[in-house]
Amino acid sequence: MTDPIVALDGATVRYGARAALARVSVEIRRGELLALAGPNGSGKSTLLRAAAGLETVSEGSIRVDGEALAALPLDGRARRIAWMPQDEPEGDDVPVVDYVGYGRHPYRAVEGAANTGAGGPVQTALRTVEMEDAAARSVRALSGGERQRVRLARVLAQETPVLFLDEPTAHLDIGHQLTALAALARLAHAGDRAVVVALHDLNLAARFSDRIVVLSRGRVVAEGRPAEVLSPELLRTVWGVDAELKRDPRTGLPFLLPRTPSVGPVPPREPAAATRPVHVVGGGGSAQGLLTGLVDRGVAVTAGVLPLFDGDTLVAEELHVPTVVELPFAPISEESRTNLRRLLGASVAIVVAPFPVGPSNLANLTELLPVASERPVILVDHPPGAGWDFVDGRAEATWRELVDRGARVVPDAATAVSLSAELARGEPTSPSAPSRGKTLSAPPPPNGPVEGA
Amino acid sequence: MAAAGPGAPTVPGPRRRSAGVAAVAGGAIVLALVVGSAAIGPVAIPSGTVLAILAHEATGGAWPGGACPGVGSSSQCAIWVEIVWDARVPALLLALVAGGALGLSGATLQGVFRNPLADPYLLGLSSGAALGASALYTFGWFAASRAVVLPAAAFLGGLVPGTIVVLAARSGRRSPETLLLTGVALNALFASILASFLLYNPAGNIPLSFWLLGGLGDASWTHDALVASVLLVGGAVLVGRGAELNLLQLGPDVARSLGVDARALTRLLILAATLLTAGAVAFTGVVGFVGLVAPHIVRRTLGVDYRRVLPFAALTGGIFLLVAWDIAQVVVPDVVIPVGIPTAFAGALFFLYLLQRRDRSGALRGDAT
Repeated sequence: MTDPIVALDGATVRYGARAALARVSVEIRRGELLALAGPNGSGKSTLLRAAAGLETVSEGSIRVDGEALAALPLDGRARRIAWMPQDEPEGDDVPVVDYVGYGRHPYRAVEGAANTGAGGPVQTALRTVEMEDAAARSVRALSGGERQRVRLARVLAQETPVLFLDEPTAHLDIGHQLTALAALARLAHAGDRAVVVALHDLNLAARFSDRIVVLSRGRVVAEGRPAEVLSPELLRTVWGVDAELKRDPRTGLPFLLPRTPSVGPVPPREPAAATRPVHVVGGGGSAQGLLTGLVDRGVAVTAGVLPLFDGDTLVAEELHVPTVVELPFAPISEESRTNLRRLLGASVAIVVAPFPVGPSNLANLTELLPVASERPVILVDHPPGAGWDFVDGRAEATWRELVDRGARVVPDAATAVSLSAELARGEPTSPSAPSRGKTLSAPPPPNGPVEGA
Repeated sequence: MAAAGPGAPTVPGPRRRSAGVAAVAGGAIVLALVVGSAAIGPVAIPSGTVLAILAHEATGGAWPGGACPGVGSSSQCAIWVEIVWDARVPALLLALVAGGALGLSGATLQGVFRNPLADPYLLGLSSGAALGASALYTFGWFAASRAVVLPAAAFLGGLVPGTIVVLAARSGRRSPETLLLTGVALNALFASILASFLLYNPAGNIPLSFWLLGGLGDASWTHDALVASVLLVGGAVLVGRGAELNLLQLGPDVARSLGVDARALTRLLILAATLLTAGAVAFTGVVGFVGLVAPHIVRRTLGVDYRRVLPFAALTGGIFLLVAWDIAQVVVPDVVIPVGIPTAFAGALFFLYLLQRRDRSGALRGDAT
């Protein structure tokens, strides 16, 4: 293996008392595209800034080709290291070709004015980012994506062996994200350059980088080939995100499918042995917020009885919530009642959405009466003035009976979610009804059960 | 779009006009203005005589036909020569060099602060320099070598606001407003101290209006030479800094990544701008808005590249102040008003116009098309 062109050895950067970068050691080699990943504030930008000589390293060292970075004159640095920040001031209204020509400033002693002719570094860089036709346009007239590409061209025109790029694909559409990273990868793989990119998109990082360095709170927490580094566990511990790891069938490269709260397919989630599920009763779309809220919190959930094709049923299906399903408008069958009783018996708590009650689904309420004294039943209050009892007061009577037997009425779904999530975790419930504030300051992302990956 | 052929120079942008043409045009304007302005003044002198005096004196007396062809009285001729060559020409040359210094100072400040509204007057540099210079008169210091010490005192006075605005621009949210409001406060502060100096001034040898509104009536060849040398020194410091100023517009970090030490550059350029301002203010008093208007005119005509903006802002500043001086002499019959009045009149209106040009993001922008 070749000697590193840039080597950070225990580099620490402090902003006041806070270490934005804490004893980070990373070696960067020619011929590789290295991706920096990590959540916001993890130190990616600080690492790039430090390695580009824009931050003072309080401990440790940064060496370029074996020489101390701090000892290199600025001109010399600028001929070895190019840096592109995430954002920069809008700047003056100059033609694109002049702007890209700024990248030639480190060579002005030998070149004089920047060579903007065909075949020169400026035009070559513009061609690489597919902006050669824009040479005479004003940079202020460019769209965000065009501007980003022109900035990239400026850095490429610098013709340095090392490129540090902070979010080079920001503002780019998917097509230009791919072409930009492919161009950078080509540049690196041509052999004599090292390209380091901070990327938020882990899938782009996995696809184009040779190596990923994952930062968290200013420290390196993982490093290696994308296939080795990227894992659901890493995403959970570093980003607090549940994700599935898949493999591109053609390339074999890993990609991550995050379980974005309440959207997207999620693997089946069996009620965990450790925590008993919360059973949700609803219908007519009244339980969607409850279902997604509880699933997002990592709480095991069951549901029913719900009519087929109901909005709630679709959400439950999408979230892989075990659900007792009945034909629409048909009265709840004996079989469904048995299944419902089984789920109620297995639950740690029961949450009742403010669903409209008719003859076919009244059993959803009456079946709760026997269990209401055994386990917590949480009733989400109906919005004032809304008619929901379509069985001549029998539904309201059952509701009152449930309250008499110890069921708790809460004002909204969010309160019901936080209350039942606490119950599911076995955490003590505060004697007073949980406030909305409590919902907002909810515990950090789920460390609950995750299977199936 | 015209694509550049192999080896061809790149496509000229819409605002790339020839700097050479502009320089020749500027030089012609300066020459015409100098000749024309020499004919302007409270004493009516035939324009043919003015031309002859200029030619005669500029050639050291070698001009055929003498200073006043066709003028019978030699004593009349001597008076006219004295008026034109020892009063009018020094004043208009002072307008050129002081305006040049202020224009160059304004362009530099606008580049350093990345703020098109920066100006030595608006940022308080001019009033600081005026305070420093007027202190010499008020306290009677260096009375013997006053002319030479004057720019130094003005420079020291200008360093105070110079340092303060640098710190204001560096700390916290560097919005254009912060910088300008700092300037407003400094201006008010220095103007009040200056006023109390001048009211206290026992000798009463220098009028308040000179320091606060500027004047060229005190011009002399010595003063011209002093301001011209300050302009040369400032210009020498700024030679080759245009490219670095261009990079500074991308922010100090990007500039540094391209090999420019933004901090050192800022310090150097603020010192240069302060020196240029002090050189002008020491001999003209506070003349506002030259440094604001001149760079804008250049950007409109020649584009935003600081390699051009700097020298042409100096040229344009000189022309601007000279025109203002002509106006100051003729606008009220038989009275020469302070030269700062026409510059402030035009400049303040222009400033208001620039303030109207806020874009959606609320940023102040003065260099747009």
